[in-house]
Amino acid sequence: MSDVQAETPTVADFARTFRRIQAEIHKLIIGHEQAVEELLSALFVGGHVLIEGVPGTGKTTLVKTLGLALNLSFNRIQFTVDLMPADITGTRVILSGEDGRREFSFQPGPVFCHILLGDEINRATPKTQSALLEAMAELQVTVSGTTYRLKPPYFVMATLNPIEMEGTYPLPEAQLDRFLFKVRLNYPDEGELTRIISSTTGPEEAGVEAVFHASEAAERIEALKRLVREVMAAPAMEIYAARLVRATQPQNSRFVTGEARAVHDEMVDRYVMFGSSPRGAQALILGAKVHALLDGRANIAREDIEHVAVAALAHRIMLNYAALSDGIDAAQIVERVIKSVRGGKL
Amino acid sequence: MSFSSQDRRADEKLGRILGRVASVRTRLNSLALQHAIFYTLAIAIAGGAVVFAGAYLLSPLAFLVGTSVLAIIGCAGIASAVGAGWRMRVSRVRAAAIADDRAELKGRLSTIVALANHQVRGSLWPYLVEDTLGYQDQFAAARIERRRVSRAIYPLAAAFVLAALAIPISKIKHPPQIAPGGGQTDMTVDLDDLDLRPADPGDESGMQVTADAATMRRLGDKLARLGAAGGEAGGNSLNQLVNRARDMAGHLQSKLTGRQTASKQRLNLRLADAGGDQDQNEIHRAPETQKNRRGDVAGQFEQDQPKSNHELDLPREDDLRQPSSGPSPGVDESGAEADSGKDNPGNRDNGATDRKIQQSGENGGGGGAAHGIGADPDTLFGAPAASKLGTEGFEIAIEARPVDHGAKGAGRAYVAPRVRAPLSLNQAPDEPVARAAVPADDRTTIRRVFER
Repeated sequence: MSDVQAETPTVADFARTFRRIQAEIHKLIIGHEQAVEELLSALFVGGHVLIEGVPGTGKTTLVKTLGLALNLSFNRIQFTVDLMPADITGTRVILSGEDGRREFSFQPGPVFCHILLGDEINRATPKTQSALLEAMAELQVTVSGTTYRLKPPYFVMATLNPIEMEGTYPLPEAQLDRFLFKVRLNYPDEGELTRIISSTTGPEEAGVEAVFHASEAAERIEALKRLVREVMAAPAMEIYAARLVRATQPQNSRFVTGEARAVHDEMVDRYVMFGSSPRGAQALILGAKVHALLDGRANIAREDIEHVAVAALAHRIMLNYAALSDGIDAAQIVERVIKSVRGGKL
Repeated sequence: MSFSSQDRRADEKLGRILGRVASVRTRLNSLALQHAIFYTLAIAIAGGAVVFAGAYLLSPLAFLVGTSVLAIIGCAGIASAVGAGWRMRVSRVRAAAIADDRAELKGRLSTIVALANHQVRGSLWPYLVEDTLGYQDQFAAARIERRRVSRAIYPLAAAFVLAALAIPISKIKHPPQIAPGGGQTDMTVDLDDLDLRPADPGDESGMQVTADAATMRRLGDKLARLGAAGGEAGGNSLNQLVNRARDMAGHLQSKLTGRQTASKQRLNLRLADAGGDQDQNEIHRAPETQKNRRGDVAGQFEQDQPKSNHELDLPREDDLRQPSSGPSPGVDESGAEADSGKDNPGNRDNGATDRKIQQSGENGGGGGAAHGIGADPDTLFGAPAASKLGTEGFEIAIEARPVDHGAKGAGRAYVAPRVRAPLSLNQAPDEPVARAAVPADDRTTIRRVFER
């Protein structure tokens, strides 16, 4: 099953393991290479991912395949409007013991797993959506005054359907900010679509082989996560990430200090209501570290930061109505900011 | 292998990397220094060359203004060059970043240099050092920056070329400004033709003016009138400053061009009072000739800028009485024609005027048979037995120099030659284009528009 080395992985081990998981996922998922890489990057830095895509682009399949490849416990919650927080976190129920005594016992909800898929998370009420916040941020769940720890690695993937907005509750900014990356799944091109057809309509289904043993999967993934944290970032790279984040903040915002007002771009001022939070800078550096390891380096470079910039910053930028009317999306803002900062304009 | 030996080897590898970064930095800083020095030298040399050439080609006032502007530009340029060189110098971190970019090392060197002094480097530090050392050939100083000499050497070379060209340019472009009749220090001028103005203070040159008593009285009256009219202007401190600056520019110009200001001779200017018996003389003077005479002579003395290396080399008074043995350098063709009028007594005064015109070298060629060279100043206003010059006169130092306007290009205007190019064989002769008639309906509208 697994020949991946355990204990103290090296840079080469990380890249090899990463590529192998990618290969297993792509046995079922045709295309979406960038999305899969970002998904795994978020996994190895301990972040969570928001997946946005039109129906039928493989959102749920992608998450399922990931769970199979990692050989970790996997749960799926279909978010609906009548879903309650206790349905997610779990609740205390009265159970009869062997001696006939009845007592409250905690029944863990679906959040108690390693990989959680929240399908169409924007269909649940904000109250239910918020039930995930504590689990995502602190890896713990509090029910009736009792806190229950979640076992690492803990990885939440939530999907969004951008076209069926009727009866949905857009995620609040605070919850959006807790997702490390927002991954967009686009329609496959003609070649990919042909391969999807041939691989899914035949008599045999492609099987996904687990990369890790079930008993050691969590431990090895945690070791790889620690390795990612060991990747070095020069002060110049940290400054670069900070400048990128500050450049997404509009000059006219009352939350922007005078010093930050020196860093601005006209497009940002015109279209952005709120820029990225400091979590955006953390996401930039962490994602860049994974990318550097995949490139065989123990240090991050500008290219690594820019590689993950759209995934890390786009969902943290709130656009105004002018952007909506002009057809500007957050990814364009991020790309503009990268050009401005890299070119020394800012 | 012991732990300490591993550490020592790791430090050796790190030292090799940092040594290469240091060599890159040294080379980059050397180029920055060269940039500053070469540009500074280039500006200084080019500026000096331009000043040198300007000393030959420009008048003192233009030289003063040009040198001042050039000094300002030069200082700004030197400050800019030094500032640019200062900005070009790099720190060790910056040198590592440049090496990263040029060798496409993706931040390896920058990270090593930035974290080399950190106590806690992480478990991947040895991997980073080893990985970076594998690229050591790519970040050698010679590959990061191939140039040992800054490109600023080209402006410096251009400045040297300019300096080398300044000497021949100053000789080629500078026409001989030697007044005709070398060694002549005496000349005669009509009092009415003098354009009098206060001399520059500090001007060591001057002129000894001699005339008969009546002429000197008239000159005194004229000076008094001028003094009353220009008293305020003459006492203006700004004018004094300008004169002083111009004088300094003249001295600098003289130093640069090697003129010997100390050996200036005084010019003996003999005034002739044509106004005393002007009515009689005007009868004999053709209007055209008088116009030429007044205009030319006045123009001769209006120029207050020294133009000649030998500005005081004028013919002596005795020489003026004798016909010239040949045309002097400043004499044009009319001088030869003037010889033919030597024997015409009715044109003697005109001859004197023409003699002055010859000295100025600016005769417009309007002479002819009526112009005689036999102008004897002693007989211009009466019998030779009249009172001799200097017996009752006094000396007034005024600024009047024979100058040559050739450097200004004001001598002769360029007349374009008439060239009639033949038409092409296939070209039809020009025909006027028929004017289109304005439609009757539009005439009212057009008229209304243009009447606005």
